[in-house]
Amino acid sequence: MEQGNRVRVSINNLSKTFYSNAGEAINVVNGISFDVYNNEFLVILGPGRCGKTILLNMITGLQKPDSGEVSIDGRVVTGVAPEMGMVFQKLGLMPWLTIMENVEFGPKMRGVSKKERREKAAHFLDLVGLTGFENHYPYQLSGGMKQRVGIARAYANDAQILVMDEPFGQLDAQTRYNMQMEIVSIAEKERRTIIFVTNNIEEAIKVGDRIILFTKCPAQVKEIYPILMPKPRDEISREFLNIRSEISDNTDLAL
Amino acid sequence: MAKLENQVEHAGDVRQDSTVKKAVNAILPFVSIIILVLIWFIASGYNSRILPSPVAVIQRIGKLLVTPLSGSTLFGHAGISLLRVFISLFFALLLGIPMGILIGWNRTFSATVGTIFELIRPIPSLAWIPLIIVWFGIGELPKIIMVFMAALMPVVVNSYTAIKLLPPLYLDVGRMFNASTDGELLRNVVLPASLPTIFAGVRNATSVGWMVVLAAEMLAAKSGLGFLINRGMESFDVPLIMTGMVLIGVVGALLALATNLIERRLCPWNRGIVSE
Repeated sequence: MEQGNRVRVSINNLSKTFYSNAGEAINVVNGISFDVYNNEFLVILGPGRCGKTILLNMITGLQKPDSGEVSIDGRVVTGVAPEMGMVFQKLGLMPWLTIMENVEFGPKMRGVSKKERREKAAHFLDLVGLTGFENHYPYQLSGGMKQRVGIARAYANDAQILVMDEPFGQLDAQTRYNMQMEIVSIAEKERRTIIFVTNNIEEAIKVGDRIILFTKCPAQVKEIYPILMPKPRDEISREFLNIRSEISDNTDLAL
Repeated sequence: MAKLENQVEHAGDVRQDSTVKKAVNAILPFVSIIILVLIWFIASGYNSRILPSPVAVIQRIGKLLVTPLSGSTLFGHAGISLLRVFISLFFALLLGIPMGILIGWNRTFSATVGTIFELIRPIPSLAWIPLIIVWFGIGELPKIIMVFMAALMPVVVNSYTAIKLLPPLYLDVGRMFNASTDGELLRNVVLPASLPTIFAGVRNATSVGWMVVLAAEMLAAKSGLGFLINRGMESFDVPLIMTGMVLIGVVGALLALATNLIERRLCPWNRGIVSE
């Protein structure tokens, strides 16, 4: 791959077990290891409720693993690393902040000057096509627009590693399709390392440089597929359909 | 009053009414008021001693606007009642908001102060009045304390409920976007997220405070709208009783309107989320 395969994030043997009220142990993530290369668009594909969100929370540092570790550029991290950014499945836009204030929240907390962070936020709002909506509140925006704000917010925080947790899962089919095209073009314009989680095979093949296929709960790596087709990808090309059937034949459940 | 307006607005959003229907709906409130006054008029014809006519009440209001009673005109009495509420409310917010936030945020505080608070809370504020009179007499201070006690409860309850109900997602987002310390999270995430609920508590506190101040004034006072009503009863001046009642209603409605306006200024994003 063009990035020269430099490992950016290394996930090493992560495990997490929860205990139900009855004291029953539920092993959600079981010894997961994989590497994420610099500036690649990595897709984690797995069935719903298979511990993907927990895994992501451990990668971003929001939750502590029971065992195993995450390292960035060879350095083991605990807690939320400043290199990490996240696009949340449930958006998590602050309803009391305007779109501009939401996007500049990260830089503001880091103490970046108002002028500088406004410029940066404006740049990324433009990139996601939301110029003109700076002074709106989230409730005034459609689902697709809100998720664009979430993406702009993660980019504006100067995150070098972006974790996206089923970012399009709550969008209607048409909007979802458009956002897939858009995230590909955004990722081409602003190169970052992206870890993108989805349960949708077509989406995975459309956006990913590499796809890691997970098993059902407890989550484990089942197979890794490099996708070498040039982007943007044609969903009805023979190559696309071949990869698609190869992956779906290998899954445990209907995804 | 303002609440009713809200509901009408929302109903209008859902159904597309014709212009005629809209005009009728706009007139109806006035029609109902006119009918009420008419019934009042007719009824007062039977026994105007115990039910004075609207004209008698208006005349009484007019008289009290210029001739002081017990040292104050009508506006003076309304102003005194309002002042008592505002002073009490000020202290209730000053103490209640930080207290509610601490109970919601800090486990130790919740287990100690929160528990005591839960024990005291079910006692209605009016039940405090006799004890407060025994302890503090019948001056200005006991009235302030009574209203303060009444206003404190909704402020504290709403403040800690707001924090307990805060979606954990916002905290994750805050931490993901560099709000690393508890203080930063509190200032930038927890407080703004809780503001609408806290403010709903303030609104309740205002209306409860307005009720309790009148009760306190009816028991023992030489001024205030509650005093006017009581004086009216003692001297069998029924128009005076009704004057007090009318003003209590008007001031109460204005208070509700004012808190609604302040809320809109303070939480402009809130209109899209809750339609209370």
